[in-house]
Amino acid sequence: MTINRSLVSVVDDDESVRESLPDLLREFGFAVEAFASAEEFLGSVYVGQTKCLILDIAMPGMSGPDLQRELRTRKQAIPIVFITAQENATIRPRLLKEGAVECLVKPFSETALLTALNTALRVA
Amino acid sequence: MNLVSALADSPRTILQTLADTILDITQCDSAGLSLLTRDGQTADVRGKRFFWPAIAGMWNPHAGGGTPRNFGPCGDVLDQNRTLLFRHFERRYPYLLPVIPAAEECLLVPFYVAGEAVGTIWAIMHCDRRQFDAEDDRVMASLGKFASSAYQALIHIEDLKVQVSQREKAEAEVRELARGLEAKIRRLVEANVVGIVMWNLEGSITGANDAFLRMVQYDREDLASGRVRWTDLTPAEWHDRDERARAELQATGIFQPFEKEYVRKDGGRVSVLLGGALFEGSGNEGVAFVIDLSDQKRAERALRRSEAFLAEGQHLSQTGSFSWRVATDEITWSEQLYRIYELEIGVPVTLELIRTRVHPEDVSLIEKMKMVDQAPDGGKDFEMQYRLVMPDHSIKYLHAVAHPSRDQDGQLEYIAVVQDVTARRLTEEARDKARSELAHVARVMSLGTLTASIAHELNQPLSGIVTNASTCMRMLATDPPNVDGARETARRTIRDARRAADVITRLRAIFSKKESTTESVDLNEAAREVIALSLSELERGGVILRREFAEDLPTVTGDRVQLQQVILNLLRNASDAMSGVDDRPRELVIRTERDEGDGVRLSVQDAGQGLDLQSMDQLFQPFYTTKGDGMGIGLSVSRSIIESHYGRLWAQANDGPGATFSFSVPCRPDGVPGNPGLDAIRSLTAAIALQVMGTL
Repeated sequence: MTINRSLVSVVDDDESVRESLPDLLREFGFAVEAFASAEEFLGSVYVGQTKCLILDIAMPGMSGPDLQRELRTRKQAIPIVFITAQENATIRPRLLKEGAVECLVKPFSETALLTALNTALRVA
Repeated sequence: MNLVSALADSPRTILQTLADTILDITQCDSAGLSLLTRDGQTADVRGKRFFWPAIAGMWNPHAGGGTPRNFGPCGDVLDQNRTLLFRHFERRYPYLLPVIPAAEECLLVPFYVAGEAVGTIWAIMHCDRRQFDAEDDRVMASLGKFASSAYQALIHIEDLKVQVSQREKAEAEVRELARGLEAKIRRLVEANVVGIVMWNLEGSITGANDAFLRMVQYDREDLASGRVRWTDLTPAEWHDRDERARAELQATGIFQPFEKEYVRKDGGRVSVLLGGALFEGSGNEGVAFVIDLSDQKRAERALRRSEAFLAEGQHLSQTGSFSWRVATDEITWSEQLYRIYELEIGVPVTLELIRTRVHPEDVSLIEKMKMVDQAPDGGKDFEMQYRLVMPDHSIKYLHAVAHPSRDQDGQLEYIAVVQDVTARRLTEEARDKARSELAHVARVMSLGTLTASIAHELNQPLSGIVTNASTCMRMLATDPPNVDGARETARRTIRDARRAADVITRLRAIFSKKESTTESVDLNEAAREVIALSLSELERGGVILRREFAEDLPTVTGDRVQLQQVILNLLRNASDAMSGVDDRPRELVIRTERDEGDGVRLSVQDAGQGLDLQSMDQLFQPFYTTKGDGMGIGLSVSRSIIESHYGRLWAQANDGPGATFSFSVPCRPDGVPGNPGLDAIRSLTAAIALQVMGTL
């Protein structure tokens, strides 16, 4: 592990995602931190270091879009890739308009994830 | 002069007086008259003999005798038509020998009536005391003229007697007849079946029977006192009518029956029918019959009231009625129907007139009503909705129920009620539009929500499976391969796959909760409600709906709403199947009947495109549809519902065009009824799940 590795943070209330996704991201070569809620992420020391945020939309408490707004309020310009288990034709354009890099619908392929991450890091 | 006064005073004895006079003037021994007999009325008797009606002098005892016409002195006088003098005529006519005393000399003079000889007068000397001379001849000629007058007078008197006796006989017959007639009339008067009143033109009532007195509530005493006058019995407003009757009486002697009113003794009114005539030759008095119309008037009032109720009822309910004899196009409308059509009440109604009002798209209904006549099973009640286009281009919506029947000639006749449902229809249309939009949104949403919910539940584990599998492959691809990591991610893949399977199991568990919503369902009633909801939609599709509901249909046990969804689905399918049909009536028959065993069957028969054998198998598969906008789940869900009622749903091609979909459900299912709604959703869910998996 080198300190040059970009930190990708995963925020999802689903444990299986927190369990499986970090392993794949590490295989891609990223540093990974996983959080079960938006509040947990905001309270952590990794907010400032995170180069890309993989964020679930629907979560108990603060939702993904809530966190997006909160970060903008705090002037934290972190590229965000949303992930969701519910395909919703209306929410995707809105999220992209709000500045999200991509919105992936579960189950998404490895390629789709990698493309979104590359875009996010290029933006950064 | 003696003779003339004798003729005037005593015609009966004139002939004897004449004989006496001859005896006296001629101073002969016997004098008399011989008259040709005229008592016999036939020619062979008439004039056969001479008869001696009067004889004076010695031959007086021979009065009443006589001589033969053609064999005697008198006959000779008539034959020679002159006065003759005989001496001893018994010598020429020996039959006179016994007549004594014998005639020495006899002078006979004929006399005539209207130029015809009718008899002789004669004078006889029985001795030679004197002989007749020229003076006797002259006197006898003069007396012969008198004899003619006397004879005529007597004949006239006899004729008068005959005439008088004939007239008396005729008068007796008339009197007898009158007595019989009077008895009959009295019988009529006293029977008091009708009122009879005798009156004069001055206003008096000269007689009346009890029936008349009862009508006007007067008694005999009132009548006898002369207080009751027909002019007073008549209310003022009827005086003009009485005057017309009086004019008619004076012109023709009778007045034709007419209706009027009398004022009764108590001041009340009584309606009567009155007719009468003047007595012949009186010019002033007459008789009238009077019939009490109170009962008829009461009946008429009741009828008018009932008609008024009907008319008011029709007005309030905006309902008109009509009858239509199809063969002759005789059409009769109620007043309210004229109002609904905005036509002048009473104008003759023709099909042409109706066509000017009926919406062009609905005119075909008229032809369809006629076509029923040719249908083998025609004669069922018709229920239909149609539109009118008013002169101001506004639209009226009418709802009609027509009952066909056969008249005595077997011709088709409709009796129908027509309700103006424009206001209701406009409300309904707004509501239908809202409902159909809402229903569409709801259907899409509920299915969408269901899909989304199932998708979310499944996508979580699927996502884990994909991610872990990807990780696993990468770990195995490194050099050296990260076997432990790969093993761990593979383990997680299996675990997530199990989670996905659990989701399916959990969904099934959710929907398999038993919630019994069964009740007793009257299928006729349930179908009627569905028809009420669908009628406007069916009419829009040009569908003629016919109900053939079995009476006394037993109820079935089940979920009313679910069964109604099946009926609704079948009706809609049938209507949709006929949307392209233009060459025959779009007739839809909904039928209920008892099924074999303990079941009830409901069938929906259309005249649409029908079914082919290939599609029969697929009909009840989910997502199978022949419609461009259909979901293809209606029949699948319907079958699930019916099967959960322990019944069955099937389709058959008709003998003619179209198909019939039927379901049959038992009245008392043996098992505990499940929850048909949830069962239906369960099978639907499984179908959707398969669809979702298919997208991966």
